[in-house]
Amino acid sequence: MTGKGKRERVALDRLADVLVDDILSASDEDILAEFRETFGDSDQNAAEMRALFEKSVLASNKKRLAAAKAAATANRLSPATSAVAPIDMAAARARLRAVVDKPGLPQRVTLAARKESELSDADILGMLEDLQELGLLPPDDNQDGKP
Amino acid sequence: MNSGQVADTRTRDEIAAAIRSLTAVDLARLKMVARKYAFGRPIEPDDLLQESYIRALDSRACPSHVDVVKFLAEAMRSIAHGEAEKVEHKVTLVPIAKTGGPEDAESIKDEADDAETQMIAAQRAERCIATRAAVIALFDDDPTAQLVLEGMMEEMTAEEMRELTGLDKTGYDSKRKLIRRRIDKQYPEGWKP
Repeated sequence: MTGKGKRERVALDRLADVLVDDILSASDEDILAEFRETFGDSDQNAAEMRALFEKSVLASNKKRLAAAKAAATANRLSPATSAVAPIDMAAARARLRAVVDKPGLPQRVTLAARKESELSDADILGMLEDLQELGLLPPDDNQDGKP
Repeated sequence: MNSGQVADTRTRDEIAAAIRSLTAVDLARLKMVARKYAFGRPIEPDDLLQESYIRALDSRACPSHVDVVKFLAEAMRSIAHGEAEKVEHKVTLVPIAKTGGPEDAESIKDEADDAETQMIAAQRAERCIATRAAVIALFDDDPTAQLVLEGMMEEMTAEEMRELTGLDKTGYDSKRKLIRRRIDKQYPEGWKP
């Protein structure tokens, strides 16, 4: 508000501030007496205000959920996170060969893995995963725990 | 934070727990504060309360040492002032100059909006003037209370007002209480600008 009425607006704002200061510093007895006189039952008010608070908590939770959903969507759409890291299949085959060439491997595994050149990429990765689960292959630090 | 230091702001759960444990007197106080801050502003007391709850939970940092009732009262004050400012900003929009191009249609619309906004602002200003006068007139029968009330509106200190009116502390506090109660009675739901 500019010009006309501004002085009055500011005066009413100041009055509200001062009256609130008085409310905050008044005794409990005074507050209860004034409340009952002007607004009615303070217990009923308390029940209504508690219900309003629970409604506010729900509204706030919904807002937080919407924000979390938006953040998850943004993460999925972000090129940095949506791009799948390429798997170096040559390195994976070399790892498998290195393990197979080690002595002491169960015969069943050795026989299957010796046909490495005939295996698909998916078979190679599956076999590395199996070997890792059997404890015959240490995790590859460069693959974030993946075979 | 070192090990001997306590957390200086309340967590969301701590704020929720503190609000849930407010007594009937605390809640009566908060309702009265909401009515005072909604007084003359384009917001309802319950909306003001609810918004203060949401801000307390979501965005405002509540220092651990601050009383939750005072914290919520301050949040309401800030929201109420924000609402008033929104209205003020709306009425200080500058009309867009005409260019002679096709955007003139928008410009005409802007002018119509502007005229409407100006009219609302003028009505609001009239109501502010009338309300201030009406609040002062409530104490026509008590010139001392009227003087104290005008001092409150002019941001005078308690000491200045006591000196001006010749009241001692008890007499002055009693006048403040009378002012608060009479305004509450006259405007139990506040007034709308």
